[in-house]
Amino acid sequence: MANKFTGIGSESKQLATWYFTFAAIIFGAQLLFGLVAAIQYVMPGFLFEVVDFNVARMIHINALVVWMVFAMFGSVYYLLPDETGIETIGIKIGKLLFWIFAAAIVVVVLVYLLVQVGPATETTIWFINEGREYIEAPRWADWGIVVVALGFVANLWLTGMSGKRSGIVTVLMADMIAFAGLYLAGMFFTDNIVMDQYWWWWVIHLWVEATWEVFVGAIAAYGLITMIGASRKVVEMWLWIEVAMLFGSGILGIGHHYFWIGTPEYWWEIGALFSALEPLPLVAMFIHVMYDWGKQQGKQNASGEVVSVINNKPAFLWFWMNAFGNFLGAGIWGFFHTLPQVNLYTHGTQFTSAHGHLAFFGAYATILIGMMYIAVQGKNGIKVLKHTKSSIWAVSMIVGGVMGMTIALTIAGYVQVLVSRAQMGATWAGYFDGQQGVWFAQAMDWRLLMGVITFLGFIFLVKDLLSTGKNPVHER
Amino acid sequence: MFEQFTDLVPSFFGWINQGPMTLTIFLHTIIVLPMFWIYKQEKARLEQEG
Amino acid sequence: MANKSVWSDNRFWQRSAAWVTGFASVLLIWLTFDTMGQIAIGTDADLQSGVTKRVPGPTVINYKISYEMSTKRGHEVPVIGEKEKFFGRDDYSEEEAGALLHLGKLGSQAKNCMNCHTLLGNGAYYAPDLTKAWLDPAWQDGGTMQAMTGKSTKEEAMAEFLQHPSTYPTHSRMMPNLGITAQEAKGLVAFLKHMSSIDTNGFPRNFGRMQGAVNGK
Repeated sequence: MANKFTGIGSESKQLATWYFTFAAIIFGAQLLFGLVAAIQYVMPGFLFEVVDFNVARMIHINALVVWMVFAMFGSVYYLLPDETGIETIGIKIGKLLFWIFAAAIVVVVLVYLLVQVGPATETTIWFINEGREYIEAPRWADWGIVVVALGFVANLWLTGMSGKRSGIVTVLMADMIAFAGLYLAGMFFTDNIVMDQYWWWWVIHLWVEATWEVFVGAIAAYGLITMIGASRKVVEMWLWIEVAMLFGSGILGIGHHYFWIGTPEYWWEIGALFSALEPLPLVAMFIHVMYDWGKQQGKQNASGEVVSVINNKPAFLWFWMNAFGNFLGAGIWGFFHTLPQVNLYTHGTQFTSAHGHLAFFGAYATILIGMMYIAVQGKNGIKVLKHTKSSIWAVSMIVGGVMGMTIALTIAGYVQVLVSRAQMGATWAGYFDGQQGVWFAQAMDWRLLMGVITFLGFIFLVKDLLSTGKNPVHER
Repeated sequence: MFEQFTDLVPSFFGWINQGPMTLTIFLHTIIVLPMFWIYKQEKARLEQEG
Repeated sequence: MANKSVWSDNRFWQRSAAWVTGFASVLLIWLTFDTMGQIAIGTDADLQSGVTKRVPGPTVINYKISYEMSTKRGHEVPVIGEKEKFFGRDDYSEEEAGALLHLGKLGSQAKNCMNCHTLLGNGAYYAPDLTKAWLDPAWQDGGTMQAMTGKSTKEEAMAEFLQHPSTYPTHSRMMPNLGITAQEAKGLVAFLKHMSSIDTNGFPRNFGRMQGAVNGK
């Protein structure tokens, strides 16, 4: 593609690398606090009343959301000049907002760590933490996030309207405005816990099972065009099919969170059968990646060249992992417990946790790491970015570690479902009977070990991302 | 096969929800059906262009 | 190109995507309006006249709550029974009970309960589910937790535990001290009692009916 490196001096791409860098730091924090929480399952006295499980776990999942949002913003800033053919409009404001966003995150995390909890007042909700899983950020930070997100959406829209508006950019424009707007559904207090959780799921579900998935579809489309020179027309047709299927199943698929929170019985049927279709687009995305790869390679082979069609090996491997991991983690592991007959017993067990680990990793972490490699390639003007020893170690250890954690948590989940739920009827005593089961305890040991392996893989990843750009092995 | 209404509060959706998968089939149908109309329109357009 | 298939036409899929997304959103909004009406919090008048609400009013703390199998619904439902004393009173006004629930709900967020426990099954899995905690056999008369705190009523035992959790270790995994005051503890217990009266469509299944089951490991 002629314009592939036109963005090398682009400010938008520079901003993208800032976003990716900060994302990688927060990713590290996510893994560290995940390790603390995993150790506490094995040794309950670890950091007791210093950094308790609730604090470690809050930082673990908040860091997850934040690093992914940062890497998503970075991805958009990275691809915008390529897609639209112009520099991102309002990039100076974009850069200013980056610093505000990053500073706010640091303050929020420090307050989580040092203050932890507050008295039962509105002040705590505004300045310490909101106490709602995934969106614990205090209210002041919520407003900050809204301002930053609006600035980001404005950058995207202004650039998309003035430059070339490809299908990918059109999808991103629509998707990102929904993504930002949905956050508002999580910014109010109510005494009614059912009402609270009803709207809370609008943020969580409609992010991770609708707008984020569509975002991944758009990024995958961009990646296929950039890395293997896939035909834009074909890629964008797939993208529209994916949007139709993802939103068609994902929006009403929210019903699978409304089985047991006090909402009417009709959600059983809506949640079960719309969310049961959610894996379909994920299968489609996997087929799509394999199909385009085979097609482009075949075309090249036919012209007598035998070299690989892929111009960024590590990024493509991560994109491939995304296609497969999304299907496996979000699709299969999600479908396992999406029917109400099953969910009655699996709801609120380690089963959910197993699904959460593999889905967030497979659907989002993989492709965002892939985008980081694309940024390394672009930043250093590399024609073909090859694997290094570190990149292979990174992908093997991270993927192996997360798979290992997922399997361990699934086994732990089975123990809970059978002992705590089916046999003991979910009481306090039943809960601890399940936790003391041998299979449960061993699963938690394995989870910790696999978590350590994931973390070591992360160190290889950081090392590779920082050093591979200067490595002479690549074709320039 | 068709069951008496069991939920707490009667409502439109609760009322359709009394048969085997009736509610979900209803919702899927009204979402997918109009695509046939889009299909026909696009087919006509392609034929005209062709 | 003549005879081009509609199925490989970008415009067809683009329009379909727009339609499906837009219409699914409209349906979700419609369903949301319907659900909002059903999950709105009830009133004291509802409780006095025996109107069953999915989410009863805060004065439900004046009544005894149990969790019983309903043959009509096909699962267990919370049943609101006769009056029952809560911290020595069964005549909390709508304002008083509402204030307690408000304090308790705020407390549940301020103390970050959800990052160890699950509420209505949502949250973290490091500690027991609190959906029906109020009805847990361990807190009843003669239950292990009530006996441990040395209190004579369920609500006092729960409030005592919440204020000094690490004084009453129940398991090697303990609840940390979160600086919960006596008043906050009272609010939290009211919040838990209210939550146990919410109709959760039979979740958790068989709650508390399996007392005495052993060999569960």
